[in-house]
Amino acid sequence: MEKEFIKETQHSVTLNVTAGKIDSFRETERTTGTVRVYENGCIGVAGALGEPDEEKLTEQAKEALSFGIPYPCLLEGALEIEERDDEEILPIPELIPTMQDFLDRLGALCPKFAFSHKITLAHNRKEYRNSRGRHLVSEGRSFEIALIAQNRGSGNLFDTFLVWSGKHFDADAVLAYFKEQYDAYFMPADLEPGRYPVVAGAVELLGTSLRHFVGDLYAAGASLLSGKLNEKVFSDKLTVCDDMNPKTTYGACFFDAEGCVSEDYRPTLIENGVLKALVTTKKTAELYGLPNSGNADAPYDGVPGIGFHELYVKPTAKTLKDLVPGKAILIFIAEGGDMTPEGHFVTPVQMAYLLEDGEIKGRLPELSIGADFFDMLGKDYIGTVCDVPYKNAALTAVMMDVTKD
Amino acid sequence: MIQFRDGFYTDVRIEDRSRTVISYKAGTLEEMRNRLEKQAFVRVYDGKLWYYASVTDVGHLQKTLDGLYAAATANPDVADDPIVKRFERNRDKLSNFADCSVRDIPLKEKQALLLSYLPILSEDSCVTLPEGKYLDRNSRFRFLSSLGADVEFDYQTCGLAFNFSMAEGEKKFSGHWQKGGTRFDALKDIGETLRAAVKEQAYFLRNSVPVEPGSYPVVLSPEAAGVFAHESFGHKSESDFMLSDESMRNEWQLGKTVGSPILSIAERGDLLGSGYVPYDDEGTRARKNYLIKNGVLAGRLHNAMSAAALDEGLTGNARAIDCNFEPIVRMTTTYIEGGDLTFDELIAPIEKGYFIKTINHGSGMSTFTIAPSVAYEIENGKLGKPVQISVITGSVFETLGLIDGLTKDVELLSFVTGGCGKMEQMGLPVGFGGPYVRVSTMNVQ
Repeated sequence: MEKEFIKETQHSVTLNVTAGKIDSFRETERTTGTVRVYENGCIGVAGALGEPDEEKLTEQAKEALSFGIPYPCLLEGALEIEERDDEEILPIPELIPTMQDFLDRLGALCPKFAFSHKITLAHNRKEYRNSRGRHLVSEGRSFEIALIAQNRGSGNLFDTFLVWSGKHFDADAVLAYFKEQYDAYFMPADLEPGRYPVVAGAVELLGTSLRHFVGDLYAAGASLLSGKLNEKVFSDKLTVCDDMNPKTTYGACFFDAEGCVSEDYRPTLIENGVLKALVTTKKTAELYGLPNSGNADAPYDGVPGIGFHELYVKPTAKTLKDLVPGKAILIFIAEGGDMTPEGHFVTPVQMAYLLEDGEIKGRLPELSIGADFFDMLGKDYIGTVCDVPYKNAALTAVMMDVTKD
Repeated sequence: MIQFRDGFYTDVRIEDRSRTVISYKAGTLEEMRNRLEKQAFVRVYDGKLWYYASVTDVGHLQKTLDGLYAAATANPDVADDPIVKRFERNRDKLSNFADCSVRDIPLKEKQALLLSYLPILSEDSCVTLPEGKYLDRNSRFRFLSSLGADVEFDYQTCGLAFNFSMAEGEKKFSGHWQKGGTRFDALKDIGETLRAAVKEQAYFLRNSVPVEPGSYPVVLSPEAAGVFAHESFGHKSESDFMLSDESMRNEWQLGKTVGSPILSIAERGDLLGSGYVPYDDEGTRARKNYLIKNGVLAGRLHNAMSAAALDEGLTGNARAIDCNFEPIVRMTTTYIEGGDLTFDELIAPIEKGYFIKTINHGSGMSTFTIAPSVAYEIENGKLGKPVQISVITGSVFETLGLIDGLTKDVELLSFVTGGCGKMEQMGLPVGFGGPYVRVSTMNVQ
């Protein structure tokens, strides 16, 4: 009988902000334990909330083998890695005064905005070990300021978001970053409908297409990508991974729920335009004869299924100006879009800026953007840049049809 | 026995939750589990700041509470705080599911029920990946406050959810259907309804054509209308969004005309289903609240903090997804009230338009968006061929004013997957629905 043991502790302190003032302090700590056992091609799982009793969970997991849930695959072999990134970001007792001071300064810098929402300091630890000698420990901290901004008098629930996350909080730098977006918000801009380079976080452009990368759907022939594994179907500039690397996805755990560790902690789906893998668990990879991408996720008492973290698109340009010289559209909020069964993607854009030579020139009215899935990632893919001044994340550029409602 | 301290407002919410998940994919058992969790969430208020903590071991509840008291500052006048003065002091015990609790039904019986339906998914050769899930939840809630509130009630949902990916040549479609409710027995004998849903979606796969984008009259099914009401107006009625910007209060004055005179949107937590909340997470009793009545802004949703800030009454809408979070203003069951037409009368005047039967998802800010799944053309007052639509969109307020027809019958829906997301709290069970709703013009893409 093979066995896996997982223990996870998530500790967080969250401040709620209303009208620029902190009005609550929430502290939560949640520890869970999981034992999974494997015998005769089946899996048995037991989990508990609270400090785990491994022996008791092991007995319960053995009993769960009687459900007969097939899980025919081998556990990962011996490997020991410990990734600890647990340097304190802000001491908890200083959190309220430090952040209220920050909010007061932000309010003075951005008087036309009303601010609300959350500031969260998190500390997570996850340990995985199995009967084949694998022992992995991931421990990390993250800090996020996520503010909803309402333009006073607009009547809207929210007009934009100001979000920053990082490991080193420098109030002056974050304030300057937010102020730049505030100033841009109040500069009106316009453009004629047509085809433009559209720049956005990768998930805003590709999020609705992710299901086509799911191994089960692929094997069933129901994915737009079915039959295209190891084929060059996209732009040769395009490399797309799931980002489990804590250096770029703060607080991320570098291994998946089955203890799989990818190169650079980033399971690769597309490499230089070639479809290299689908999103799988060990089981679905085995079942369909696919490479295992290492994308297992699991509830603390459940059988592993697939999970996805953050999209990482390999940078192709050094600066935003290099990526999109001339006119381009920078998407800030694009919610509610979807793709037809044939792969035509359309989304309304609630907040966007006009870029010229990589600099924000003003805020655009509401737009719609649309493109074909294969074109977006193929002939119309422009490239990706990281370390950009806006959005605190990498940005991907695609040529798209832009319409105004 | 919990010891509350003077000088603070305190409440404690305890949930004892049972959750069952059984799932099959392509005929193989994927998951079978029953999770039992008992957790608590405690809140202490000193008139200046709220202090929250979640408790995974209810035996440590007092210790956690004492820690919050130590962090807060005792305030002898806290009882006069406008938020505290609003809290209700209900004492009640409600039990709707003691005689039919899903906790008492063996896993094997639930599994057998799910298994009995799976062959239907594979009757059509175009289904390449049949998936079925049985899901249930039974919760026993207790709410206690330092003001003397002591409320207990139970909550239950159960249901079956099916996904069936379809492919035929180059044509692909993600089919889905589900049945949610509150009683296990209601999940029996639904085979013919499931069969009809699979057949309809297979027909859609084979015969649907891309829509010609443009502006058209649109008829929304109760499912689409319910999502529209929830997304387009329900979220705007959650008044915690009004606390930061005082000018919002002028924009959202009660009595303002915001929609067509035939439009009324109601919200209530006392209807059994996935949005059943007889007492909210601040101990407030459920009631019927009109958001829009006859086209006029009639009310909004509150927790105690927002009600105090706007000097309005409680509505029973303080909810948290579980005991890891504090309650915020959320919907329960939101629906459009019915009109006076039959479905045939509703579509009769439409020369060319679209009927949105099922949807994938919806969202709404100043512009709302619905991503349809199965949709049909309406031509000369009759339903026509199936059409593929990416999204329908429109300005919320313009669209509310363009509603020009409602059927008599209202359908309220419960779901066992998905749920409502708001900021960090995703997947809150809510109910929604309405009649069939005709909108004179919507942007179809």
